Amino acid sequence: MPSVNIVNGKQIVVEHLDRSQRVHRFLARPFVQMRFHQELIQAVLRRELRARFQGSAGGWFWAVVAPLVAIAVYTFAFTTNLQLPLADNLGGHRVAYALFIFSGIVVFNFFAEMAYRAPMLMHEYAHYIKHTIFPSDMLAVIATLRATVYTAVSLIVLLLFLLIVRGGLPWTALLLPIVFLPLTAFLLGLAWFLCAVGAFTRDAGYLMINIVPLLMFASPVFYPHNSLNLLIYANALTGYIEVMRDILLFGRFPNPLVYAWVLITSAATFYFGYWFFDRYRNVIVDVL
Amino acid sequence: MSSSTSSEVVVHARHLGKAYQLYARRGDWLKQVMLGWWKSYYKPFWVLRDIDLDVYRGESIGILGRNGCGKSTLLQVICGMTLPSRGELRVTGRIAPVLALGATFDAELSGRENIMIGGAVLGLKRSELLRNFESIAEFAGIGDYMEQAVKHYSMGMRTRLAFAICAHVDAEILVVDEALAVGDAAFQRKCMDWIDRFRKTGTLLFVSHSMTEVRRLCTRAIWIEEGRIRASGEPSTVIRAYHRALAMEKDDIHRFSAGA
Repeated sequence: MPSVNIVNGKQIVVEHLDRSQRVHRFLARPFVQMRFHQELIQAVLRRELRARFQGSAGGWFWAVVAPLVAIAVYTFAFTTNLQLPLADNLGGHRVAYALFIFSGIVVFNFFAEMAYRAPMLMHEYAHYIKHTIFPSDMLAVIATLRATVYTAVSLIVLLLFLLIVRGGLPWTALLLPIVFLPLTAFLLGLAWFLCAVGAFTRDAGYLMINIVPLLMFASPVFYPHNSLNLLIYANALTGYIEVMRDILLFGRFPNPLVYAWVLITSAATFYFGYWFFDRYRNVIVDVL
Repeated sequence: MSSSTSSEVVVHARHLGKAYQLYARRGDWLKQVMLGWWKSYYKPFWVLRDIDLDVYRGESIGILGRNGCGKSTLLQVICGMTLPSRGELRVTGRIAPVLALGATFDAELSGRENIMIGGAVLGLKRSELLRNFESIAEFAGIGDYMEQAVKHYSMGMRTRLAFAICAHVDAEILVVDEALAVGDAAFQRKCMDWIDRFRKTGTLLFVSHSMTEVRRLCTRAIWIEEGRIRASGEPSTVIRAYHRALAMEKDDIHRFSAGA
C-alpha cells in the first residue's frame, strides 16, 4: 500500500537497516525505480520518439542520412586538406579513416546529445513535475533511452558500412554491449547531475554549448592518440571510444586497464548522478 | 484494502507548514543550495502556517478560502508534489490529483495519444488504458476530436478529456482543485454524478468557489485563511461564516507580501 510519511520536510521511511543492507538498497534503488515506473517511461519515450520521427517530413530518413553525410564530410576534410599521421594498422586508406572517425563520432554524439539536452530537461517537463505526481528522476532515464535509439541508428549505419567496405565484421563486434551498457550508465549519471544543476541555473546549458565542441577535440575522435599520454584518459570518453574501436575496427580485445577505467568511471558517475539528483529533487520542484 | 472502517484516518497532518523561498535575485538560488548551511539568501513566504487536519476514510471535505490563502498548496503538499517545510504528514492510499487538468497534455499530439501519456502519469498501465479507452472516450464525449491534435481543442474540451482520464484512475483518495469551473453545465453535472458515485467508496478532498457544489458534495467544510484553518465543521455553518467574512473584511492588498 502506498503511504507517505513526512516529518519536517524529510520523508521518513520506517526501516531499520544495517550498513550492508543500506549499501545494497542504495545500489539497487535506481533500478528498482526504473522497474517501478517502466510503464510511464515507455509511454513518454514512445511520445518523444514519435515526435522526433513523425514530426518531421523525413523522419527516419534524416536519422540515417545525417550520419552518412557526416562520414563523407569528415573523410573529405581530413584526407584531402589536412594530412594527419594515420596509424599504420588503418592502412592509410580514406575509407579506413572515415570508419575511424565515425566510430568515435557515434560515441561522442551520444554524449553530446545528452550534454546539450540534460540541463534543459527539468524546464522542458516543468508542467509535469509541478502539477502531477511525476517521478522526476525518470526524465533523465527517458532522455537517455531516446538518445540510445538515435545512437543505435548511427551504429547500425556504421555496422552496415563496415560490412560493405570490408565484406564482414570481426567477431569481437559481438562484444558491443560491453561498451554500450557502461556508456549508457555513464551518460545517465551525467544526465542526472546536469539536469539537477540545470534546474537551478540556465548557465549549465550555456556552459555545455561552449564546452562540448571543445571536448570533441579533447577526445580522440579525429586522431589516434599516443597511449603513453595518460592525461587524455582524464576525459572519460577516451576509454569508451578506444574500446569501441578495438572491438569494431581492429577486431581485438580492449586493453584490460582501459576497460577497467571505463567500468569505474561508468559506475561512479551513475551512482554519483543519482545520489546528487535524489538529494536535490525536492528543492528542484520549488525552483522550477 | 483490508479493513475499511469509517474511523480510519487516511490523511493525517499536524502543524503542517510550507514556506516558499522568495529570492531578490535569480542567482541567489544557487548560492542557497551551495551555501545554505551557512546563511540563508531568501525571504521565506509562509503559504501554509499551521494546519492540523485528519481526514477519515469515506469523508468528503470541501476546502474554502480566498485566492492565495494556501488551498492549492495544501492539496499539493497532501498529494506529495512538494514537501512541507515543517510539520508532520501521513497519507495512506493511492491518491489521484485532479489539480491542473490537462497539465500533461502535449498540444501537438492527438487526444488519443494524450490519454496514453496522461494515464501513464497517473499510474495506469498501458493495457488498462487500452481496455478502458472506449469508456474514457465516451465520458469525455468529444467525438471525432479525439483524433485531432489537442492544440485545436477549446478549453472546455481539454477539461472534458482530462477529467475523463482522472475518472478512470482507480484511486482511494481523490483531490480536486477547482477543476470543473470550465466545463459546461451538462458536463459539470456528469462530473458531479461521477464524484457522487466515487464518494461511496473513496475519500474526497475538494476545493471550490461554488458553494452549491460544496454544500451538495461535502460532509465537512474547512475554511482556510492565511495558511491556517479558521473554521471547520458542518458545510452550511462554515459557508455562512465564510460569506459573512467576505462581506465584512476588505480585500487585503498586503496578502501576497513576504514576511515572517
